[in-house]
Amino acid sequence: MNSKKLKNAVIATATCVGISTLPSFLMAGETYGPFPITLKGYTGDKTNTVSYGGQIARHAIHDSLKALAKTGNGGDNAGSLAAEMMAYFGGSDKNKAILGTVDKGDFNIKQETVNELSSGKNLSGKAYKGIMNAWPGGMTGAEVLESMIMNASKTSGGFDPSTGYNYQQLISKFAMGAVFYNQAVDGYLDEKLSKPNSKPYKDGKHYTGLEHVWDEAWGYFGASANCLNLSAKQSYDIAKKKDMAAADTNGDGMVDLLSEYVFAHAYYASSYDKGGKTSYLADICGAFLDGRKLIVSANGEDFSDSQMSTLKGYVDIIASNWEKVIAESVFKYAGSVYKDIGKLEELMDSNGDTGDAFKTYAKHWGELKGFAMALQSGKNNLGETAVKMNRMMGFGPVLLNSSQVVGMNSSGQYIKDESSGWGEYKLHMLKIQKLMVDAFGVEAKSNDMISDMADLAAKLGESDSAEND
Amino acid sequence: MEILDHIVDIFSNFFDPKKRIFFGYIFLSVLIAVLYLVLAGKRSLKESLGEVFSKPVLLSRSAKRDYFMFLINRSVTLFVSPLLLTKLAIATVIFQFLHTVSWIQKGMFDHFSTLLIAFSFTLFIFILDDLTKYIVHRLMHRIPTLWALHKVHHSAETLNPITIYRTHPLEGIIFTLRASFAQGIAISTFFFLFGNKVDLFTVLGANIFIFIFNVAGSNLRHSHIYIRYWRWLEYFLISPAQHQIHHSLEEKHYDKNFGATLSIWDWFGGSLHHSEISKPEKLGLKGDEFKENPNIAYLYIRPIVEIYSLLQNKIKSITSAFKKFLNFISRAKNHIFINKET
Repeated sequence: MNSKKLKNAVIATATCVGISTLPSFLMAGETYGPFPITLKGYTGDKTNTVSYGGQIARHAIHDSLKALAKTGNGGDNAGSLAAEMMAYFGGSDKNKAILGTVDKGDFNIKQETVNELSSGKNLSGKAYKGIMNAWPGGMTGAEVLESMIMNASKTSGGFDPSTGYNYQQLISKFAMGAVFYNQAVDGYLDEKLSKPNSKPYKDGKHYTGLEHVWDEAWGYFGASANCLNLSAKQSYDIAKKKDMAAADTNGDGMVDLLSEYVFAHAYYASSYDKGGKTSYLADICGAFLDGRKLIVSANGEDFSDSQMSTLKGYVDIIASNWEKVIAESVFKYAGSVYKDIGKLEELMDSNGDTGDAFKTYAKHWGELKGFAMALQSGKNNLGETAVKMNRMMGFGPVLLNSSQVVGMNSSGQYIKDESSGWGEYKLHMLKIQKLMVDAFGVEAKSNDMISDMADLAAKLGESDSAEND
Repeated sequence: MEILDHIVDIFSNFFDPKKRIFFGYIFLSVLIAVLYLVLAGKRSLKESLGEVFSKPVLLSRSAKRDYFMFLINRSVTLFVSPLLLTKLAIATVIFQFLHTVSWIQKGMFDHFSTLLIAFSFTLFIFILDDLTKYIVHRLMHRIPTLWALHKVHHSAETLNPITIYRTHPLEGIIFTLRASFAQGIAISTFFFLFGNKVDLFTVLGANIFIFIFNVAGSNLRHSHIYIRYWRWLEYFLISPAQHQIHHSLEEKHYDKNFGATLSIWDWFGGSLHHSEISKPEKLGLKGDEFKENPNIAYLYIRPIVEIYSLLQNKIKSITSAFKKFLNFISRAKNHIFINKET
């Protein structure tokens, strides 16, 4: 090895070690991009390699679908609504308006159409391609979403009282997993990491294969580029369109969806972190930023084994924390469903009006089911955990007459049968919460149904009364 | 640093108002003892103080064993306790099970006032704790393998507040599990039936009833200060004198007064013994039961040896019964075979 090569190797190693040991708090002030051109032989005039507009476009499509899913009027607009939703879900030719993620008060969104973010994008081509066993019908993730869209268009407000399905929630929560989580952890951060760093992503592009793959995974997470400079509360408030000052980093009076907004699981990570027990947002953002800086430091060369090993360390942080964020959501909504059943039981005992309480219950169940399916759309086969969760949750919520969807017939209609009852179903919700703790180690534990009991147990003091009386 | 933390942990019970040896309770016990001796015993203050801090009692050989066992047992407990089933684990299982019982519903009594529910829970857990302590204590005396362990406590020839730690670690595990089960049952049932209104009335963090018991001189149970209650009160609350009788060597005092705070369990269970005018002459165990003035090794090892030999005898008798049964079968078979031949 000549002295120049040796020097370069030392510098590269030192950079790797430096980056890998840099604590996240020291990165305050840093944002995800811009990052310089590293591609060897690039002669164009571009200066920033960061590009994840396609992913943000899909976030906007998801938000739009969610907004449309509740606009059914009970059948009259079923055909047109189904066509409209399918145009977002599977179409690519039409320049669609962004729905849902729109202005609110002084919170001005810069883009109004999907094509301003990236053209020709949809969700269907990127949705989970495996069989989704948590939903009746033995369909793939993409087919489940399409079936839900069709059914949603026939309902009033996205809710079907005969099955208890709130399609707006089901579509939204499952799509986030089937597309964003799946694409990131089972695609870009998995086999696509083999894309070369010494060649452009595609001919004519100014970024390398590895740079772009990393950026695309980052885009699916949905955090704002300055997430490490924000508190969890600020990040949460951006998604709620309540904190213009935190969002508008360039001070142009508009929120640029491409870098300044908070979408999907980044929002949920913020919501749990603001409770103070977890740091999912900072950990995931930190690992993405660390990984991106490592790619920049390779300076357009292919990764060595040791560099790839370091990068995969960041992938592990991202994937495990992302999975935990979804598991936290399953935990939270299992608690909501448990509480909702309690309220419904009280109303039924007193012959009260269960209409609104049942809608709330169905909404929470839709969120629970959607997140549970999302959890099963990742890279890992959850095996026994998934089987237990799906059996306890069932294919549908227990209805007021104690029936429950148990399957789907050959013509795509849901089959219902007697459930094991409310008491048993509530117990299942408790067990699902415990399963999330045991299998994924969730820590934020929103709506923990046994936390009050745990508090009281603590109040009674330790049981180590190992003394005679 | 870790060793220092460990030492702090060992002595933490002196600063924990949930524990009987909390320094405040010990101070109050001393105060009660002195007042009792001055007012009821017509002794001078100096004499009374001399009696309370009696050197032959507090620095007896038996007492020194107690102090040593305190140090060892606290260390053992700190390591063993985290490995045992916790009350929350037990409560969770029961809480889940209650969902499957069709004739009860979660929160079915949550319309009662928070005050009433909290008071009921505080009282219930105190009573359940005391009842299960009585049952376990009775069993410790009645079942030979358990008595082998409990003898360690009864081998004390003088009593002082630290004597409660003169307990074999295996017995300590039984006591810990008892507390976990009793409290786990109380927490889960109340939470299921009364919802989130369940709370515990506490003073300085301790259950108010336990606090009252401790403030009222609970440490005098294990002491040489022979305080008697009125006869009628001794039907309900165990007086220090009654517990000292429980430790007495006299045969008529054997297996009496098992209760911790309440004596009603002994009353109903036929084991109540009222205090007598004079204090028990001698405390401890007979020579054929346990060595006199045992050393520390004997206190820890002897019960294990005794349990082993008890179990061995048990196995021997089971094996011999089984052999007899096999013999009987083979004789019966031969009998049938011979009858057939003839």
